[in-house]
Amino acid sequence: MAIRPYWKGYLKLSLVTCPVQMMPATTDSEKVKFHTLSRTTQNRVVSHYVDAVTGKEVKEGDEVKGYERGENEYVMLEDEELDAVALDSTKTIDISVFAPRDSIQWIWLDIPYYLSVEDPLGQEAFSVIRDAMAAQKMVGISKLVLSRRERSVMLEPRGKGIVLWTLRYGDEIRDQNAYFEGVGDEPADPEMMPLVQQLIKQQTKPWDGKMAADPVQDKLLDLIAIKKKSLKKPTKAKAAPATPSGGNVINIMDALRNSIKANSGKHA
Amino acid sequence: MPAPRAQWKGFLKFGEVACGVALYTAASAAERISFNTLNRQTGNRVRREFIDSETGDVVEREDQVKGYEVDNGQYIVLEPEEVAAAVPESDKTLKITAFIPCNEIDDVYFDKPYYLAPDKMSADAFVLLRDGMKKAKVAAIAQTVLFRRMRTVLVRAHGKGLIATTLNFDYEVRSAREAFEDMPEMEIKGEMLELAQHIIGTKKGTFHVSEADDRYEDALAELVKAKMEGRTLPKPKAVKVSQPSDLLQALRESAGAMAAADKKPKRTAANANVGAKREKAIRAASPKAKSGTHQLRAS
Repeated sequence: MAIRPYWKGYLKLSLVTCPVQMMPATTDSEKVKFHTLSRTTQNRVVSHYVDAVTGKEVKEGDEVKGYERGENEYVMLEDEELDAVALDSTKTIDISVFAPRDSIQWIWLDIPYYLSVEDPLGQEAFSVIRDAMAAQKMVGISKLVLSRRERSVMLEPRGKGIVLWTLRYGDEIRDQNAYFEGVGDEPADPEMMPLVQQLIKQQTKPWDGKMAADPVQDKLLDLIAIKKKSLKKPTKAKAAPATPSGGNVINIMDALRNSIKANSGKHA
Repeated sequence: MPAPRAQWKGFLKFGEVACGVALYTAASAAERISFNTLNRQTGNRVRREFIDSETGDVVEREDQVKGYEVDNGQYIVLEPEEVAAAVPESDKTLKITAFIPCNEIDDVYFDKPYYLAPDKMSADAFVLLRDGMKKAKVAAIAQTVLFRRMRTVLVRAHGKGLIATTLNFDYEVRSAREAFEDMPEMEIKGEMLELAQHIIGTKKGTFHVSEADDRYEDALAELVKAKMEGRTLPKPKAVKVSQPSDLLQALRESAGAMAAADKKPKRTAANANVGAKREKAIRAASPKAKSGTHQLRAS
């Protein structure tokens, strides 16, 4: 199934340029979709725009973007005019810097996209950039205008393509010191470390996307299926609230031993 | 600075050990430059209105319900309480169900990061888990009800603390393999790969955090100014795509230009001339092609 690209443009490394396209790595298409209905008529509810002053409906063709110049003073901008913004990074991802992947912490990652070749003509140039990054174990850093903001982006080879991440702005990340003030500088108790290491080892599993399953969506689908058959009301399944033992310092060691014992029992 | 407000409070549990923790927003979302939607005819702002598609009457928020379409035009109605009932009751516990080697994790699942901090009583258990995971180079998977939804989070050591990243649901993530399946396999070897690696080597650096004042805002202001003054900005120049037959030459020239630039104190200035140089080179066609290779080998 061909998906319309979210963005089209060029990938550039020094004098090498190739046409590329991009799509979001996430999608809503598999989500249970609801429509909004009117409770009284059961008809679909749709939204439209009305003129804020006259209250009359505004046709789609009459909607235009307004850039606020002052209070209640707008300049109308057509999409074609916006395309003339004089900034290379609206159309070209020019990779300016390469850095080891580990040097960019997870917290900077904002939205992932899949970047691929748009025209077979660019296949070789794209592959050169991708394979050279992979061979050097580097990610590329560049700038790109998306949703009318110039973002820092990170490019990482992935299979035949490249994953492009928008990176957060510096002032979007909150200062971690304010949150971890209460954590002392002492490392963990050396006597307990072997135990926690053992526990981690016992419970280490390979990554699997199914770990991010959504039990609620399945329940909603069940509910819909039931309603479709009959009109029985579902009852709320009560989960027994757990009573955590609390972070008592004295019994961490015992708790760790019990955990390891419990786990070894399962494996035996 | 006022004490940060917790988004969620509960317990983090690994094995039989539990510690009291709280989640705090670690990153706020990027704000785009917002335009207002105007009515072209009147120049007035517009506002959104929700109406009944059949009767055209305005439907107020409290009269809106969710409907699941079963057949064309036939809906099963779900009241907000019924949707809420599908979410299990919260036991306020992030129970770690598995540890995953950090280098195996598919980061495309990442949604939002939260700082995960211990309460005063739980620092010892917290530090133990943090250092244990750091040493084993793993992150932990846990599930709980967050913000009225059942969410999976990935917990990883971060400085003195932990970060819990919410994960997108599996059905929300496109498979990378499928996304790239239409592209042919192509592995680059030999001189091309060497040249490209060489270019990357000359551009090694660090990621500099950028501040929110982005150049787009300035460029947009310039556009608006031009329009007010009745000027039109020149159309952006068409981008020249490397032709397959030019590719090796473009790489050689890039590598050559990089090597030359390295000897000069100002790289940016040197790079600025590269485009012009290349256009000349293309016009001059192949006879000069070998000089680029020479430069690289000499460097």
